[in-house]
Amino acid sequence: MSAPVLTEPDALAPARPSMAARVIRGVLPYVLALVLAFVVAGIVIAALGYDPIEAFRTILTTSFKTGFGFTETLTKWVPLTLLALGFTIPLAVGRFNIGGEGQLLVGATAAAGVGIVYADLPSAVLLPMVIVAGVLAGVVWAGIAALLMGRFHVNEILSTVLLNFVSFQVLDYAATEVWSDPAAGVAATQGVGEGAELPTIGGPPGVHAGLLLAGAVALATILVTRRTSAGFELRAAGTNPRAAAINGIRVERVAVIALIVGGALGGLAGALEVSGVHGRAIEGMQTNFLLLGIIIGLIARGSAVWVPVVAFGIAILEVGASSMQRTVGVPAEMVLIIEALILIFLLLSDVIAGRLARRVA
Amino acid sequence: MNEFAVLAQLTVVAMVPYLLASLGTMLGGLAGVFSVSQEGVMLLGASVGFLVSYGTGSSTVGILVAAAVGALFGFALGWATTALRLDQFVVGLALFFAATGLAGLLYRIVIGQTATTPLVDTLPRVEIPLLKDIPLLGTALFSHNVLVYFAALVTVGLWFFLYRTRAGLNLRSVGENPKAADSLGIPVVRTRLWTTAVGGALMGVAGAFLPLVYTGTFTEGIVGGRGWLAIALTFFGGWRPQYIAAGALFFATMDVVALRAEVSGIDIPSQVLLVIPYVATLVVMVFAFRWARVPEFLGKNYDRESRTG
Repeated sequence: MSAPVLTEPDALAPARPSMAARVIRGVLPYVLALVLAFVVAGIVIAALGYDPIEAFRTILTTSFKTGFGFTETLTKWVPLTLLALGFTIPLAVGRFNIGGEGQLLVGATAAAGVGIVYADLPSAVLLPMVIVAGVLAGVVWAGIAALLMGRFHVNEILSTVLLNFVSFQVLDYAATEVWSDPAAGVAATQGVGEGAELPTIGGPPGVHAGLLLAGAVALATILVTRRTSAGFELRAAGTNPRAAAINGIRVERVAVIALIVGGALGGLAGALEVSGVHGRAIEGMQTNFLLLGIIIGLIARGSAVWVPVVAFGIAILEVGASSMQRTVGVPAEMVLIIEALILIFLLLSDVIAGRLARRVA
Repeated sequence: MNEFAVLAQLTVVAMVPYLLASLGTMLGGLAGVFSVSQEGVMLLGASVGFLVSYGTGSSTVGILVAAAVGALFGFALGWATTALRLDQFVVGLALFFAATGLAGLLYRIVIGQTATTPLVDTLPRVEIPLLKDIPLLGTALFSHNVLVYFAALVTVGLWFFLYRTRAGLNLRSVGENPKAADSLGIPVVRTRLWTTAVGGALMGVAGAFLPLVYTGTFTEGIVGGRGWLAIALTFFGGWRPQYIAAGALFFATMDVVALRAEVSGIDIPSQVLLVIPYVATLVVMVFAFRWARVPEFLGKNYDRESRTG
């Protein structure tokens, strides 16, 4: 199976499309998708008896009105970008990593475990240990699915999803049996040692330093996929597996590695959530990061350049959502609908833009 | 009733959501459309089924509306992948998100935040006279709510339709070789549309089953991975109703064993018991993917004008 969203739908277009055709194909779908999604959502919001203009204004401006809102947006951006990249890297080889949730949770559990057990170590030692533990846990988790895929041809969509459900129990075991904290009020592990917590940059309120790490990872992903032979193999194996195999690329091995790298990013996201945000592993801490990561990856069409940008947009919507629920009264679930609509309309606009561009060219 | 009869009865009930969702997946898949939105459509079916039953006081209406909403999502998948030839996995995921969001949103709009949990009556048992008195298996098989009998009928009906009628053969040919089917005048697009719609309806009913039989109310985690397990079950069952039914029995047994072991208080951490169904599925998949055959055009769109497809 070849990568579905990465291959440009250009196969039928003339060899050198005109400028107009290229603009139509590149920009129009996004504009159409955003406008249509907000129009449909606005109609629904109005039908529910709320003021759609007020609702959208809250969604879009909360992130920029206060330092707190902007901090929250950047904090959300970190796991969203990492999970989205964890989805798009395997997607480049046509494999679907739907296990970001599980990889994040085992990463968080491992990170919290190390942070609790070695709580007395100084930050210079403990912090790297915590982060490496999270990454390794993500690697192991995705590695199981990768092994099942590479050796036994078990569909990776299924294996990664099923491992999510196993990860809930892994965290639950850690949070209730091993390092339980009855005082926390929710099912959560004890707090990690001070040395396991990431420093804050900027502010107040400021963002945890994991932001820099996530930014570096995003940058590295762009460079590796575009400028190295490993990245070339990845893209070649996805675009045309047969041609890639003929030219000596071991497609199956590339896919396995891509899935494991995706897991590493999920684990990293979990570790950063523990050491940067919560200071412990909490059940339910993954909220809907998995869905959002996939939506971001698909809206960005798998492009490592666009993932961080789209992730920022989605983070704005997410932060605005809770504010909208508080002030305007529209349920925050509305925002997930808007995000799904953007994706659906983007897919539909692709078809329309493709037909238009062919006519213009 | 003795212990065995109770467990057997629980197991049969637990089979139903797996069975219906998996048969729905199978039906679309045999025509070549692979859905990955089960988990979302089931959640939406659970939400709608509960809300409509709660509002109208009739669980029958609730089930029918859940089926209709599921059919709508199934049809959307069929339409987007035939008329527009969009990627099946991507559209399936998009519909999964939309359904998940809609399920939560609808509940929030209709019920809002309440101090007490809103409840509906769970479906009553309909005992079949005489048959239920058969020793050992009587109560396990013939003392159930209507959806259990419905699931059994659908299983047998689909088996008969797919493997004993010409229309069923035509349907399967669309998933095996759409080009050949097309050349014989079998309407590929129309077949894909109705199978995904009916398949979606079955997933919706599978979702509605959960609040209307198990809990009496809707919660966000009510599906709990059954939609994804249903996909696994469909592969495991080799895309045939009779093997899917056997697989559903396996999944249901896992459910009941985990539940039973937890209640009986044996000294195993509850977490270990709760992962049994998922881990068992992963192990089984290793073997299932070796022998199970899959429709040749599963997940692939059909383009009449393409020379390679």
